[in-house]
Amino acid sequence: MMGKSKKIIFLVDIQSFYASVEIASNPDLRGKPVVVCGDPKKRHGITLAASPEAKKSGVKTGMPIWQVKALCPKVNFVRPHMKKYIEASIQITEILNQFTDQVEVFSIDEQFLDLTKSQSLFGTPETMAKMIQQRIWDEVGVFARIGIGENKIHAKMACDNFAKKNKVGIFKLNQQNYRDLTGPLPIDQLFGVGSRMKRNLERIGIYTIADLAERSLEEMKKRWGINGHVLWLNAHGIDYSPVESSSTVLYKGVGNSITLPRDYENRKDIEVVLLELTEEVCRRARLMHKKGNTVHLSVRGADFDHPTGFHRQMTLPFATNATMDVYRGVLQLFDRFWDKEPVRSVGVSLTKLEDAREVQLSFFSDQVKKIQLGNVMDEIRNRYGKTAIFRASSLSSAGLLFDRATKIGGHEA
Amino acid sequence: MHFTIKKSHLVDALSHVNKAVSAKNAISILTGIKFEISNDGLTLTGSDSDISIQIFIPSVLNEDEIVQIFEPGKIVLPKYTFEIIKKLPNDEIEFKIVDHLTVLIKSGSSEFRLIGFEAEEYPELPQIDQKDIFTIQGKLLKTMIIQTIFAVSTKESRPILTGVLWNLNGQNLKFVATDSHRLAIRESTVENPMGLSFNNVVIPGKSLNELSKILDDHQVPVEVIVTDHQLFVKIDNLVFFSRLLDGTYPDISRIIPEKGKTKIRVQTKEILDAIERVALIAKDAKNNIVKLTTLDNQLLEISSNSLETGKANEQILAKELTGEPIKISFNAKYTIDALKTIDSQEIDIEFTGALSPFVIKPVDHDRMLHLILPIRTY
Repeated sequence: MMGKSKKIIFLVDIQSFYASVEIASNPDLRGKPVVVCGDPKKRHGITLAASPEAKKSGVKTGMPIWQVKALCPKVNFVRPHMKKYIEASIQITEILNQFTDQVEVFSIDEQFLDLTKSQSLFGTPETMAKMIQQRIWDEVGVFARIGIGENKIHAKMACDNFAKKNKVGIFKLNQQNYRDLTGPLPIDQLFGVGSRMKRNLERIGIYTIADLAERSLEEMKKRWGINGHVLWLNAHGIDYSPVESSSTVLYKGVGNSITLPRDYENRKDIEVVLLELTEEVCRRARLMHKKGNTVHLSVRGADFDHPTGFHRQMTLPFATNATMDVYRGVLQLFDRFWDKEPVRSVGVSLTKLEDAREVQLSFFSDQVKKIQLGNVMDEIRNRYGKTAIFRASSLSSAGLLFDRATKIGGHEA
Repeated sequence: MHFTIKKSHLVDALSHVNKAVSAKNAISILTGIKFEISNDGLTLTGSDSDISIQIFIPSVLNEDEIVQIFEPGKIVLPKYTFEIIKKLPNDEIEFKIVDHLTVLIKSGSSEFRLIGFEAEEYPELPQIDQKDIFTIQGKLLKTMIIQTIFAVSTKESRPILTGVLWNLNGQNLKFVATDSHRLAIRESTVENPMGLSFNNVVIPGKSLNELSKILDDHQVPVEVIVTDHQLFVKIDNLVFFSRLLDGTYPDISRIIPEKGKTKIRVQTKEILDAIERVALIAKDAKNNIVKLTTLDNQLLEISSNSLETGKANEQILAKELTGEPIKISFNAKYTIDALKTIDSQEIDIEFTGALSPFVIKPVDHDRMLHLILPIRTY
């Protein structure tokens, strides 16, 4: 054998995922412009997904409903059903698991596969890609696009920039053709470059992926640290990160965030939401039998033109998953960093997790009682629903518990 | 200012004073050591505003002339003056202010000119009324510190627990330290001719750590004064000041169990060695968990079990084992720390259940008590 055999990595991405799942469950919609969007009366009234037919009329993800109506009068609006999408995503993972045990769920509609050792069973990469596409179409009713490469960045770039744009929905990149094919692309097509980074890069004369690849690694590192290093590697098609199947991924933290239905201006209202979020985060940590040493709080301001807000963290006095102990940390962070500007979204997370099944008892606080209290509240919620027991503050007008209880990921279940 | 001094005496004194001086103090004058020469001798002062140490070197000690005074005066010299003094070639060192803040230091053929600080700007040490004194043997004070200080909290989340609580009642001086998971108490008899009493005096652990180093070779009675904000300890010609911690120390009287349900008497060294060996398995784990289980025939099992590293167990024959059987998990470090400070050959351990604190006491006296809270496991 000549050296190490090259890896075969796939990125499987579903076309217009939410819209495709809706169409699959309602064949009347097939071939028609379909837009999945939130409640028009609330702030969630924006486009979450659009079918290819709707996209042809110029509809884009994130577009408000009135604009969609103007562009595409015959559009069919569908309310989101998050539970359905999660189920479809799991069904796809199950199909992929029949080709390899190395499946990394990257997002709800994107999964990485390592098929290096599956070739002798299923054939060439192209053959496997066609088989996977066919099975997902037959069994889930949605169209998969597949990027093929020698590592994850090849697969991701092959999928986003080529497979999504050709008819077969399959494209292969390798180290030989990577720079020739990706080089001429505009810089924001490089994985990891968002709108802000694009502006920064253009300011120093980097407009295409080739422009970035020609810069020295030292310059990129000096300007943007680790981020610059990663972008340089991405531009060169270098990526050593393995496909991490979910069994090998350790939970690094638990977090929840929420976009508020209106801008919250006073401290009292924001506190109510922070407590609700903290309770949800702690409940999930308790479910995993984990407790955290560090609490994070992120707050984003309401004014998009003058972005305000912060993301800060602090080490708790002891590892905990008790709601009120974590909330105390959240409030300390909030008091220290909030600039008194109206708030649009908030997020709380708990990290540096450790096993919660070992509890060092303390003389001055009743750890056992706290644990029991949390467990009892969780059990009541598990049995009778999320609103069966709640904190009184959730009854105030600022509370979002009752609104959120019926949703998954902020959308209707 | 102009004087000569015997090097060994100055090095000795500076090694103590230097402990209170930090080169990084925000108040720049406190990065130095104050030298003050009077007609009686040399006074050295160092302080970081939490701790202050002052030493007086008399001009004549045991008919030996240590300091020869030509002209009184004072100046504050930088901390590294100590490093210079230690390395000077001759046994006699001459100090002289040659120009306002410039000090000439001469020893043999070596000559240094150091720029000092204005001594007038050095903060005054607190004035202490030297009447309300009690006395304790220096070595005993050091022992009491060592036997409690390990249990203070190192976390700033509850500052009062970073100190050791001192209570004086009649002849009885009592030290208490806890980090809220384990607790150490040590009592002893002191001379208290004034009949003083105090409680809720909490001295920072860091201060006591420095004090215990100074107390090293002093088998002499030391004088102690406690005021509202300061601790003052006088050892020969050395005076040690520490600030006290603000706040109320938690009431610990109710957390000490009255009567155990399981009593074990064992050799201190035997159980310490067993726990230390078994704990090696759990060394990298967060809680360092060791389990103690009572078996039949006065046998105890000490064991440890880690998913990653494996298992360890050993058995100890207790001298006595009475009461209910018990199975309890605890942090090995807390127990090892406590057992290491016990100088008695045998100890009694009393348990009141797997979720209650257990008590470790020496058999031959009742002046010491350790309390350790177990770990709840599922």
